[in-house]
Amino acid sequence: MATHTPPPVLEVRNVSVRFGGVAALTDVSMVVWPGEVVALVGDNGAGKSTLVKTISGIQQPDSGEILVAGRAHAMKGPQDAAAAGIQTVYQDLALCDNLDTVQNLFLGREICLPWWKGRRMDRARMEKRAREVLSDLDVKIRDTRVPSSSLSGGQRQSVAICRSILANPQVVLLDEPTAALGVAQRKQVLALIERLKAQGRAVVIISHDIGDVQQIADRVVVLRLGRKVAEVTRGGYSRDELIAAMTGALDAAELAALRKELAHG
Amino acid sequence: MADLSSDPKALSGRTGFPPMNRHDLMTALATRWRMVPVLIALALIWTYFSWANPLFISPRNLSNLSLQIVVTAIVALGLMFVLVIGEIDLSVAASGAVSAAISAGLAVNAGVDIGIAILVGLGVGAGIGALQGVIVTWFRAPAFIVTLGMSLILQGILLDLLPEGTNLISLVGTPLGKIATLYLSPGMGIALLGAMTALYGFLSWQSWRASHQQALGGSLLREVLLPTAAIAIAGAAAVAVFNAYRGVPGLVAFLLVLLAAFSYVTTQTRFGLYLYAVGANAEAARRAGISVPFVRIAAFTLTGLFAALGGMIAAGRVLGVSPDSADTTLLLEAIAAAVIGGVSLFGGRGSVWAALIGALVIGSVSNGMLLINASTQTRLEVQGAILTLAVVLDALLSRRGGAR
Repeated sequence: MATHTPPPVLEVRNVSVRFGGVAALTDVSMVVWPGEVVALVGDNGAGKSTLVKTISGIQQPDSGEILVAGRAHAMKGPQDAAAAGIQTVYQDLALCDNLDTVQNLFLGREICLPWWKGRRMDRARMEKRAREVLSDLDVKIRDTRVPSSSLSGGQRQSVAICRSILANPQVVLLDEPTAALGVAQRKQVLALIERLKAQGRAVVIISHDIGDVQQIADRVVVLRLGRKVAEVTRGGYSRDELIAAMTGALDAAELAALRKELAHG
Repeated sequence: MADLSSDPKALSGRTGFPPMNRHDLMTALATRWRMVPVLIALALIWTYFSWANPLFISPRNLSNLSLQIVVTAIVALGLMFVLVIGEIDLSVAASGAVSAAISAGLAVNAGVDIGIAILVGLGVGAGIGALQGVIVTWFRAPAFIVTLGMSLILQGILLDLLPEGTNLISLVGTPLGKIATLYLSPGMGIALLGAMTALYGFLSWQSWRASHQQALGGSLLREVLLPTAAIAIAGAAAVAVFNAYRGVPGLVAFLLVLLAAFSYVTTQTRFGLYLYAVGANAEAARRAGISVPFVRIAAFTLTGLFAALGGMIAAGRVLGVSPDSADTTLLLEAIAAAVIGGVSLFGGRGSVWAALIGALVIGSVSNGMLLINASTQTRLEVQGAILTLAVVLDALLSRRGGAR
């Protein structure tokens, strides 16, 4: 691959993870450039979640390394990944239903007044910042003071994504962001991912939905049984090819040959 | 600015619904209007008893009623902390009795300074709470059984602590025995009300000014003036009633200051927010970087501390500590008060004022039933029915307006 100046914002280099005798990831490499959406696809057990956990610092690789903006980071936990500029939004369990949008956005990093003002939370400043983040990403919440339980699924997912943006990360990892959403809500979340991209952030998304992947991803990394079996760019693959690569009906060489054929004929 | 009924077009993904639908109403009832049904119930109870026996609303009876609920309200306030994080503590009555026995024993039998004796008792209560919190958090043992077991152990310890033969530590003539007979002078009552109202007005004005400076809008009338005026009017009515008898009872003033302080802690500080976060979704709280074990242990510690406080006040009111001090009636009434006041047994919801309002409901029924010469059977049946109704309302609100 041609050498870009500046380095890729995220690089996974020859990462392997083993759980006892089981190889969850074997020698996986991938790069992500700023302002790019990369989809990780694969069947159940392909290693997508393990790869995301490795990038987000929850799982330490047995070999290989993770580079952020060209620098290797030995990440011992999610805090290290966050400090390096990587935020992860998990499929569920992201919000507290009884807290409102502002409280959820700032949970764990509230802005407080100094002790001589009673260590009160500075609600006004948090609300101001929350509205800025929401409007930057064009997320519509009609009242940031109602509990999150009264938001729609799409709004909840959007709030969870905005929550990760507050730390101004370079890389956002999204684990199944559109799972369990209706058509209109799915659209909202996909549009939000486009806006993250427009802000120059790199987005890595796990998805089971080939339609989503085709619509949103600039590049697709296909994992199967812990190995990277294919990597294709937007427009360079068909739905059937992608499924074939995921299920192992085609191997990487066959897929490359097919792709060449497609490109030339 | 935006209230529930504004801007229907922003209802993205749910267009076509009326602005204030059933779901919104249930959500509002489960959150900011949670006190409304409880206050209506309290008003109905008071109306009925006043009609059945006009003595019920005499200043003397209302003053006594408010003294009767102090212990229940303080223990219920403590229980609120464990209930909000989705746990329970069944040992509060026993741990309050043990703490009171230790304080009373030190002060009366060992001649220790009363202030130090009280601090030791409070420390013991907090320690019992912390120990239970550690067991529940580290061993992931169900709080229901851990605290039930602790309650039995503490009842045994109480019997060990009490002198053989009499089984009683008398507080007659001691400073602790006089706390229930202290009343603020009329002027002091008014001054206390003025100070609390001014503090509330100042804090809400500060919030309003901050959001004004951030150009977030917000109405001075609705966010500062009206609530402050409401507190001033309700407070003035209460102080007037108390002053028509002997003045504001000292214990009642203490309870109100305690509630105000912990209302601040639970609504304005990080720690308070974390209690609600852990109660709703411990996993999300953990991922947000909150130390969930710390929050859990702190909640149990506060419950133990308030149980000890309640136990000492109870001992002061009945002028002694005896095996009856660990009576489960207090435990049941405190849990009932918290739940009636709107603290959810499912965790994550409830305010400190629930303790006061719930204790008032329970106390009013007991007091009124005595005044109309109702039998014990009837009293138990009515209290049980109210508690059941409150739990049904809680379950309904949790399902429809809350988590699921």
